[in-house]
Amino acid sequence: MSYIDELVTALGKEKVLLDPSERFVYGADWSPRTSEEFAPPDVVVLPKTTRDVQRIIRIAYAHDIPVTAGAGLTGMLGGAVPIYGGIYVDTTSMSSVIEVDPKNQTVRVQAGATLQEVNDAVQPYDLWLPHQPESKWVSTVGAAIACDNDSTFGVRYGKILNCLLSAEMVTGTGEILELGHRKAHFTSSGYKLKDLLAGSEGTLGIITEATLKLEPIPATRRVDMLVFSRMGAAVDYLSRLLKAGLCLEAAHINCKRRLKFYTHSYSQKFGKDPEIPSWAEALLAISFAGDPDVVDSNREHALRIAKEFEAQLVEERAIVDAWWASKYTLDFEPFKQKWPDAQRTKKFGAADPGVPVGRLEEFYHKFVEVAEKHKLEIIGMNAYLEHPSSIGFSLSCAVFVDYRSAEEVRRFREFHDELSKLAVAFEGTMSTFMSDTHQKAPYLELEHGASLKYMREVKKLFDPKGILNPGKKFTREDLRR
Amino acid sequence: MTELDEFKDELETCFGTSCGFCERGCPVYQTMKVKTLCMRGRNRTMLGLIQGRFEITPAVVQAAFECTLCGNCDRWCALKNTEHTRAFREYLLKHGYEPMKEHSSILASIKNYGNPWFQPRSARNRWTKGLSVPKAVPGQQEVLFFAGCTSAVTKQLNKGLAASAKLLQKAGVKFATMGQDEPCCGSTLYRVGQTEAFNELAKDNVKRFKALGIKKIVTACPGCYTTLKKTMAELDSDIEVKHVAQEIADLAKNGRLKLKKSAERMTYHDPCHLGRLGGVFEEPREIVRAVANLVEMPNNRYESRCCGAGAGLQSAFPRLSRELASKRISEAKGTGATTLVTSCPFCETQLRTVPGMKVVDLMELLLDASEDKNSGPARNAR
Repeated sequence: MSYIDELVTALGKEKVLLDPSERFVYGADWSPRTSEEFAPPDVVVLPKTTRDVQRIIRIAYAHDIPVTAGAGLTGMLGGAVPIYGGIYVDTTSMSSVIEVDPKNQTVRVQAGATLQEVNDAVQPYDLWLPHQPESKWVSTVGAAIACDNDSTFGVRYGKILNCLLSAEMVTGTGEILELGHRKAHFTSSGYKLKDLLAGSEGTLGIITEATLKLEPIPATRRVDMLVFSRMGAAVDYLSRLLKAGLCLEAAHINCKRRLKFYTHSYSQKFGKDPEIPSWAEALLAISFAGDPDVVDSNREHALRIAKEFEAQLVEERAIVDAWWASKYTLDFEPFKQKWPDAQRTKKFGAADPGVPVGRLEEFYHKFVEVAEKHKLEIIGMNAYLEHPSSIGFSLSCAVFVDYRSAEEVRRFREFHDELSKLAVAFEGTMSTFMSDTHQKAPYLELEHGASLKYMREVKKLFDPKGILNPGKKFTREDLRR
Repeated sequence: MTELDEFKDELETCFGTSCGFCERGCPVYQTMKVKTLCMRGRNRTMLGLIQGRFEITPAVVQAAFECTLCGNCDRWCALKNTEHTRAFREYLLKHGYEPMKEHSSILASIKNYGNPWFQPRSARNRWTKGLSVPKAVPGQQEVLFFAGCTSAVTKQLNKGLAASAKLLQKAGVKFATMGQDEPCCGSTLYRVGQTEAFNELAKDNVKRFKALGIKKIVTACPGCYTTLKKTMAELDSDIEVKHVAQEIADLAKNGRLKLKKSAERMTYHDPCHLGRLGGVFEEPREIVRAVANLVEMPNNRYESRCCGAGAGLQSAFPRLSRELASKRISEAKGTGATTLVTSCPFCETQLRTVPGMKVVDLMELLLDASEDKNSGPARNAR
């Protein structure tokens, strides 16, 4: 019996998509690529339960077939694109909310639930899951863990790992494991295998369920924007706010160019770009959330300190609101306008390095230099604080890419690789929110050195045949070593 | 639009963006969870066809037709996705792919009987029995009440039409109907991709309305409402088109109608064609508020979820269509409402198939709450 016949027997034929047109649409994500670069899987399966996933992996294991798990197809670097074909496991059919536990402020969900669906389910209990990437409408819990993507509210709540208490996964041999510490917030027991899942890209197993920590919904939120003459000054200011004991909820530093990408709704409404002082090189957006008097006093204190840094408050609320709507609420008009208008001919493409906090400005100039060298139109850089109560940031170094031009897509990839490698030379890291995918796999050793050998062994322990999302993190050849 | 190439740029833009935000509100995707059955996937399917990556297969035809054209995807996107889907259907028909067999019979019925329901033309007039409704005569009236075939030929829906007519009379609107000569608006033809047949019908319709001296059409059917509006706009006609709720809302709001207001919790289901696609949200709500305690479903107005009856889904994919109806009724039940009010014959029929919720027509609701429901025109009539 062929593996496809076995899949049909195990799942039922309506859960196995074989038509070329159906497989085709699963062959690309959000990452810059030409439309000739669709990489369709050989078969798409739609599991409903962990047992279904187990059946799929056991069949793949027996026949040595690649298995790539995916969900919203919003990955920015091809992490869930099945580059070696095989079985594509569309996890979005597993989207049930299994248990909301308001007393313990947790939720147990199937991994294919979108982050927004989780929030829709817990909002009646006055709780929320604060892990909020812009793609939250389609990005799923499993994908957020496997990709380790960014969150708007990282400076207060961290990323998905800070919310993840426990996760169920199916390994590359078809074994079902629960990793984590049930509903306890942390543990000192055993090795923290659960943490391996963050950014694992489905290379160790397919995440099928997760228990997530929830937070009470703050009563109010106030968002402000300040301009600084240097990006470094914005970093110093944020450090000062934390020293003062203020509780930031969101903190994003945008270079001046980048703001234009986010304030598209402002431009649409007023027919001009937002007026930002010509001397300003950095725009910092911050938010405070909580009880109104606490928020007000935090905000007032923050604005007072801003004077020490010669920062200027953006008084025009329309600019701030346009940015916030675009970034967080994704409210109808701004969002509807932003993407296709901005990306009608070219697409957003980014490198996602991380650098030491004191070297942001230096790296910004390098980013501009590298983008210009590769003849790419610069969108700009932003630094999102992603670590609770700390100034550690992720970086998005973004350019427009003409995805209709194979040559420009190639230049984008060179740009991405050069910046990733440069970040290591800056004593930083190659990735902060997109993971490694196949793109960074050939030079992963540059960052991890001898420890890569241990990572390879970990991979082999969970996935001895190397069938899970092959080509990601490790090249196929590398795994065969 | 005859070839997919004509909107290749749009398809590539969707590929380039690939946000997938259309999935969240797509009733078909949320039930099936197959990416070809939502706009991002459907746009990719069309792109794949242009690139010659695959042939037209039953799955491609399914991707084109398994959609209610409810327009929720357009809410999240600057691209005209609903138009893409409609053009995709047209493309398949032009390339020799017969419409779904269920659609073929509907088309035959429109051709032979002037309605998609295999009912004789005379059936269109049944609902006027016992009512004093004049038939349109050239130059004798400015307002035409366009009943729409579904309500006219479906006995259970006749009451709603009668209520519309009585309320229009109370509002002092002097109108006539076309009786059994009322033509098909062409909605079904247009939505299943029969564009040429639709264009011909539309031209003929405008000619007939003009010959009668019609200045304004009031209809009780949201499908007719958006289709006739489109017809008038595309053929540059100055005939105004209104839904009956727009004509009647004032009557309920300004106290010209004596109404018994009950404390019953009722929810309002926005028909896609009246709400999201027609932009009429508040007038029906004003009517419900005037007679009951209106409670909203979480997905309301632009976010309303399709009942599953639209664009040929009910006939070609009945199981899926029923599932969509069940979902919508579950949502309505979640509000604690005991009655769901709507203003579309398709939504009414469709939602009534799900047990456990009373479904009433907006005009019937208003007329029933009227203390003088059998009397003539209201005072101070226009």
